[in-house]
Amino acid sequence: MRSIAMGAGLLLSLTAPAWADRVAPLTDPVTLKACGECHMAFQPDFLPARSWARMMDSLDNHFGESAAMAPDKVAHIRRVLEEGAADRVGGKVADRFLRWVAPGGTPQRITENPAFLRKHDFPAREWARAEVKTKSNCPACHKRAERGDYEED
Amino acid sequence: MSGAARAVPGRWELPALRLWHAALAGGFLVAWLTADEDTYRMHVFAGYWVLIAVALRLGLATVGTRQGPLALTRPGRSRLMIWMGGVLMTMVGVAALSGVIADGKSAFEDVHEGLSNAALWLIPAHAALVAWVFQGKRLRDKVIGAARVSAVPMLLLAGLVLAVPAQAADPARDAILAGYAKAAKAADPGFGGFSAARGESIYRARNTVNADYPSCATCHTDDPTQPGRHAKTGREIAPAAVSANPKRFTDAEKVEERFNRDCKTVLGRECSARDRGDFIAFLSSK
Repeated sequence: MRSIAMGAGLLLSLTAPAWADRVAPLTDPVTLKACGECHMAFQPDFLPARSWARMMDSLDNHFGESAAMAPDKVAHIRRVLEEGAADRVGGKVADRFLRWVAPGGTPQRITENPAFLRKHDFPAREWARAEVKTKSNCPACHKRAERGDYEED
Repeated sequence: MSGAARAVPGRWELPALRLWHAALAGGFLVAWLTADEDTYRMHVFAGYWVLIAVALRLGLATVGTRQGPLALTRPGRSRLMIWMGGVLMTMVGVAALSGVIADGKSAFEDVHEGLSNAALWLIPAHAALVAWVFQGKRLRDKVIGAARVSAVPMLLLAGLVLAVPAQAADPARDAILAGYAKAAKAADPGFGGFSAARGESIYRARNTVNADYPSCATCHTDDPTQPGRHAKTGREIAPAAVSANPKRFTDAEKVEERFNRDCKTVLGRECSARDRGDFIAFLSSK
């Protein structure tokens, strides 16, 4: 039993550097298309399932604009996001973000999580760069972000 | 190069060439028909198919008889045909290759689309040339033979005749407009058709409902033929004008979704069927 755990640990430590800043890519075409139309389709790993549920229930006012869509589409995307949520799939990145979420809390902005802020402590002029524009624009710097790879570039 | 020494082409060579041609043409057709996000996987598959077919042609040339059907150039063949084949295959190959790059780097998508469209236009030129060169020759021999040979280019031409309007005309958009016209008439029996001018005033109006999105032009820019940019997220938006983006207003579900959302966000109200039709009329006229 112990040797299995040690073996697994060794294996994990070997692969850890490669996936330290990686999450499973979002592959569902409906979700990719619907979310990706206006912003990068964020992988669900950064928020707990209850956050995604709240978001999909409040699309009429989605960060100040209407993102309303057909009910069956909402249900489908909601399921995809809940199934891939941080508290459902776990993993290094998910755990790092969940640590800062209050039990029962339903945060909506990934960019307000201290796990994000700690790694993105840049002067304002960096954020103001024309190609960045907003904190939610991951692919501006993480070129492979849409594939779940947030390794530094 | 083992077969190069033989003078008489193998019996398999012409069927192999025909099979190859069918594979390339079929692959290109599928890739062209599936060039949409909804059918992206099939598009990628067809693209690789095309790329492999082009590579295979070069391989076939090395195993075929030097002056046989598989040779890339051979005496007695029209110079024009040889050049046409070379240019067309290069373009198709480059288009497919740019697709492979675009699959990884989405910044290449426009390049890929441009190259593919260029390759697409070479096909009727190729078909016309084949018809012209072969038909003249066969007519001297047998009428029946000519009819058989011309079946291939005629089919290709027929395909193109169908293809060209598919890009330019827009039955889907007409259907959407017809639906709005019906609803507008039901709401107001005096409805006398859509107006691009009314649509333009909706597009350009400055509203006060939402400070982040005061106007349609905020994201879609004052010139709707230009690509826009989401005011908050910076995500690029394909041009709103039909002239610059023929796919606009052809997906009924998406059209409804966008009107439902954006009218509420920007105008703070629902858009009526007449508003929607006017808006489409304006952007179709740009």
